[in-house]
Amino acid sequence: MSDVKSHLYSSQQVINDVLFDSIGDGAVTTDEFGKITRINPTAEAIVGFSAKEAIGVWLPKLYAPFDDTGRQLPITERPMTHAFVTGQAISDHVNYRHKDGHLVRVALTVSPIMEGEKLVGSIQIFRDISTEYEIDKMKSDFISLASHQLRTPLSSVKTYSHMLLDGYMGQLNKPQIKALKTIISAANRMNETVSTLLNISRIESGKVIAERKLISVHKLFESVVEEHSLIASEKSINFKVNYPPTKVRLYSDSSVLKEVLGNLISNAIKYTPQSGMIVLSAKVPKKGNRLIVSVSDTGVGIPQESHSNIFSKFYRAENVIRQETSGIGLGLYLVKGLMDELGGKVWFKSEEDKGTIFYLSLPLRSRQRTKDISSGKIKSGTGRVRKTTAKSRIGVT
Amino acid sequence: MASILIVEDDKDLNAAYKIILEGAKHRVKTAFNGLEALKILKTYTPDLILLDLLMPVMGGLELLENYHLKNHPNVRVLIFTNMENSPEVSKAYALGATRCIIKSWTAPQNLTKVVNDSLKETSKVTS
Repeated sequence: MSDVKSHLYSSQQVINDVLFDSIGDGAVTTDEFGKITRINPTAEAIVGFSAKEAIGVWLPKLYAPFDDTGRQLPITERPMTHAFVTGQAISDHVNYRHKDGHLVRVALTVSPIMEGEKLVGSIQIFRDISTEYEIDKMKSDFISLASHQLRTPLSSVKTYSHMLLDGYMGQLNKPQIKALKTIISAANRMNETVSTLLNISRIESGKVIAERKLISVHKLFESVVEEHSLIASEKSINFKVNYPPTKVRLYSDSSVLKEVLGNLISNAIKYTPQSGMIVLSAKVPKKGNRLIVSVSDTGVGIPQESHSNIFSKFYRAENVIRQETSGIGLGLYLVKGLMDELGGKVWFKSEEDKGTIFYLSLPLRSRQRTKDISSGKIKSGTGRVRKTTAKSRIGVT
Repeated sequence: MASILIVEDDKDLNAAYKIILEGAKHRVKTAFNGLEALKILKTYTPDLILLDLLMPVMGGLELLENYHLKNHPNVRVLIFTNMENSPEVSKAYALGATRCIIKSWTAPQNLTKVVNDSLKETSKVTS
């Protein structure tokens, strides 16, 4: 190398060093074997090991990821392994053990360093999110407790109203029965609102874990039909169900699916006039390994201008605002969020004043590994994965 | 007809469940927290415990931890809560609860049905 070239190279090296050390997040690079080659001052501060102590050491010795229970992640579940094996960047939330022993919650991205097709190392960028994590946990605890406290008086209102209605305290006349039904209906609406807010809060904080197992679609349908047929009959709505063959099994979370179907059917009942029709169907297309579920109604339909917004938060189409004032525009937003969690899709066809069909597409079978990644919000195309570790469920019944 | 222990701190709901389940011809005893329930369970083995989770003095999970359902394989535990919060509910299942239902969604006739269905189920805990 000539003197000029050598000088330029070392100048560039100085710039690189300054840039690397100036990164506000922790930054650690390794060679292709996982040995630490560089570490910046922020990384030193977050985990406590100096560059002198860290360089040349196999990264997992100092930066082993732990879960929230303090269990060290097996090598196959570690972000660096994923980056090395797939050649793609991965984002995750893990804990590192500080030099003094305590766990530090970090949000990190591990990226492979490639020279053409060849893996030559990795870089991980991370920041300490312990404070945000604690605040988020407090928020979740608060929402959970608040929903419980709201529901306790609601339980009494509903239970005693039903007892009155069922004649536990003597026979009632027609106006009294009508008044009680109004009270129960209002309590149900409030209950639904509390549930929806709670579930949305969980989705938005990434704390829904779909617990997948093989479920019978037939049984799932039976369960949601049982819950909604009474309300449909009160509006003289013809609620038809085209059950799939009993052998059709879905590898999914039945609680989450019940919540999705419950929302779609409730909407269909709400926005279908007296003596209308609702049809719940499922079929397995000849090609592909997905189940298509549909909920159709002969209701007010979705105006064309609202189609693009219908899954947005707090959005309600003009025609339903005029007709029905009780909704808050969160049901379909929740449906979309839950379907994303399940690795499914939701879409619709609708014509104003004629009706709407909502379709759900769900994978019939899925391998465990796929499940873990999808529940951890893989963003297809980017190779970025964010795992969630807190365990909350939707609509536990 | 079965014997049922209701463990619910809300006095109104406790009284309501008693009326409903006695109306369904079950024999009912009541407790208002886990500690009271544990005292009753020392001398009484019900067919089913209708158990709230969040209670003062001693909650439902603590009761399950102390009662050791594996020593009482014929006792079903039906969790009746408003906590749609899985850590507690999952833990209750792990401790042997048979079912879990949300209070504010359950009308009296459904309570009777769920109780009767639970009584037909085999306990999940084996000794």
